[in-house]
Amino acid sequence: MRAFLLESLEQLRDHLAAQRPLFTPQFAADSSEPSWLPLSHNTPSVAIEQPLLPAYPAKQFFFPEREILFRFDGTDFKETLPKPAPQILFGVRSCDLCAIAYQDQFFQQDPYYQARRKATLLVGIDCQLPCEGGFCPTVDAGPFVRDGMADLVCHQQGDHWLLITQTSEGEALLEGLDLKAAAEEGITQRRSQEPQVAAQFPSATHIERGIQRINQSQVPAELWQTMGLQCLSCSGCTSLCPTCSCFTSYDRPVDDGFERERCWDSCLYDAFQREASGHNPSAAAGQRVERFWFHKFSDEYIKTFGRYGCTGCGRCEKTCPGVIGVHSVMKRISATP
Amino acid sequence: MNGLMTPQLIRISEIYDDGEAARHFTFEPVSGTRHSARPGQFFTLAIPGHGEAAFTYLSLPDAQGRFKALIRRVGALTSALFECGHGDLIGFRGPFGNSWPLEQLLGKRVLIIAGGIGLPPLAAVTDRLSTDGNTPVGLIYGCRSPAEQVLKHERSAWHASMPILETFDRPSNKGQLTGTPLDHTQQMSAKLGGSPEAILSCGPEVMMNAAARHFIKNNLPPEKIWLALERRMHCGVGECGHCYLGSSTVCTDGPIYSWQQLIRLQSQTTA
Ligand code: SF4
Ligand code: SF4
Repeated sequence: MRAFLLESLEQLRDHLAAQRPLFTPQFAADSSEPSWLPLSHNTPSVAIEQPLLPAYPAKQFFFPEREILFRFDGTDFKETLPKPAPQILFGVRSCDLCAIAYQDQFFQQDPYYQARRKATLLVGIDCQLPCEGGFCPTVDAGPFVRDGMADLVCHQQGDHWLLITQTSEGEALLEGLDLKAAAEEGITQRRSQEPQVAAQFPSATHIERGIQRINQSQVPAELWQTMGLQCLSCSGCTSLCPTCSCFTSYDRPVDDGFERERCWDSCLYDAFQREASGHNPSAAAGQRVERFWFHKFSDEYIKTFGRYGCTGCGRCEKTCPGVIGVHSVMKRISATP
Repeated sequence: MNGLMTPQLIRISEIYDDGEAARHFTFEPVSGTRHSARPGQFFTLAIPGHGEAAFTYLSLPDAQGRFKALIRRVGALTSALFECGHGDLIGFRGPFGNSWPLEQLLGKRVLIIAGGIGLPPLAAVTDRLSTDGNTPVGLIYGCRSPAEQVLKHERSAWHASMPILETFDRPSNKGQLTGTPLDHTQQMSAKLGGSPEAILSCGPEVMMNAAARHFIKNNLPPEKIWLALERRMHCGVGECGHCYLGSSTVCTDGPIYSWQQLIRLQSQTTA
């Protein structure tokens, strides 16, 4: 790990963009929310001081909404692995970086995910302010980038930036940039500053209490059922959640045969677990809502992933039309006697 | 060499009807790539244009790599499979999942309880235990009616080396047993020389749960009762999410669970 001083983020961004295609959160025309777009000169980049999370997490870069798994050409099955060009994601926030690390592990043996992931370098930015609805400190996912989660990390310090390298691939990208090494104090200061930023987040006792209740199976079945009735099965939460990974697949005819495509699925759809025989172990909407939150907050997953399946980004709260996003659900759970 | 999600070709080498809308298939390798599997594991079959589905090994791959499955026509993929004929090539991936705990069964009095189409997942382990010579094993097979029964050939082979009781909700003649498998456990215990020391079961979940509770009540420890679960197993490698059971994934952690594990998994959620 090495640390350098950077005058501006643009200095680094433009240097990197000259080497590889670079994606960064930007405002598309007529959109109030930033999204991941290739760097171009006519779209304003996101103001860095205000952590405005892109509407979609970065998972689509590695686990796209649809992709072809193999082709049947009339005689045999041929694996269709992606051959992605090297790319850079610039300005990934800590919550989304934790989610990428989570999915890196989940999709460990998935050649499609890994091909895309290995072609990508991640540049993280420490959040110096809470984002709207975010609660990353409660689930140990921010606000500063965790060790080993990105190739490069940018951290604002007064009128300049601290640039920290976390991998040799990240460091290699800096070649040609004339950078001064940062003094040791800069790094110590960054470390001591994180608790101060974390302290600015609104209270998240409802999340903490909710996590406890979910893990002690103390949420009444009736509450899950009530929330189930409010779920419209729109799949907004599962699409936007940076750690959700369920998919389904189907065959589509092409010129000389068929291709198998996989696409995102959602555990909140009523047929998600339905078997060919008609048997459905999660036929009740309440069971499915409970499943979603169990998957995000059960201690069981800590054994495997070293963290919860929720990284505190708050996207599900913003998108849910049925008032069962993370804050609403956890408030209701924590309020039950 | 194809990876995780991409099937390889296998050939259908034999087909015959076996029970209600059920058919017996034998598969053989095309390119000489043989694989091995353990009793209770499963594999997937793919038919281009019709997707892919999971099936249990009725018999494990032999020296030539041939293995069998009993397949019931229930949906789009199995309907397409029933259109296939001798010599046709289809896609295969596997083996997947865990297996019956053989090491813990050998030398013990083992009772196998199957319901309807739940018999095939128990066939390979029954083959193994019934030919062990040192393991008293018995099978109680319950069906709604005689027409629902499958594995005629396999059952007649097992008859030679182990006790089998077949029971029906609606028997077709007077000599047949009626009732559920649990109505006949005493009779089976007498044949096995004592009450069972291990239970293996597969069939409708209500039947399996009733069997587990019955033997728990009769002081069999929950870790000696194993059930094979059915879930929608789609990818087979624990990724697609469809076969979750609490914090476990049936396609990789199952399909076989001890009653002890199931109780724990069921207690994780409330709705
Ligand atoms: S949840 Fe935390 S890390 Fe993510 S954008 Fe908000 S403040 Fe930053
Ligand atoms: S559960 Fe909600 S808050 Fe947590 S990571 Fe997923 S979308 Fe973000």
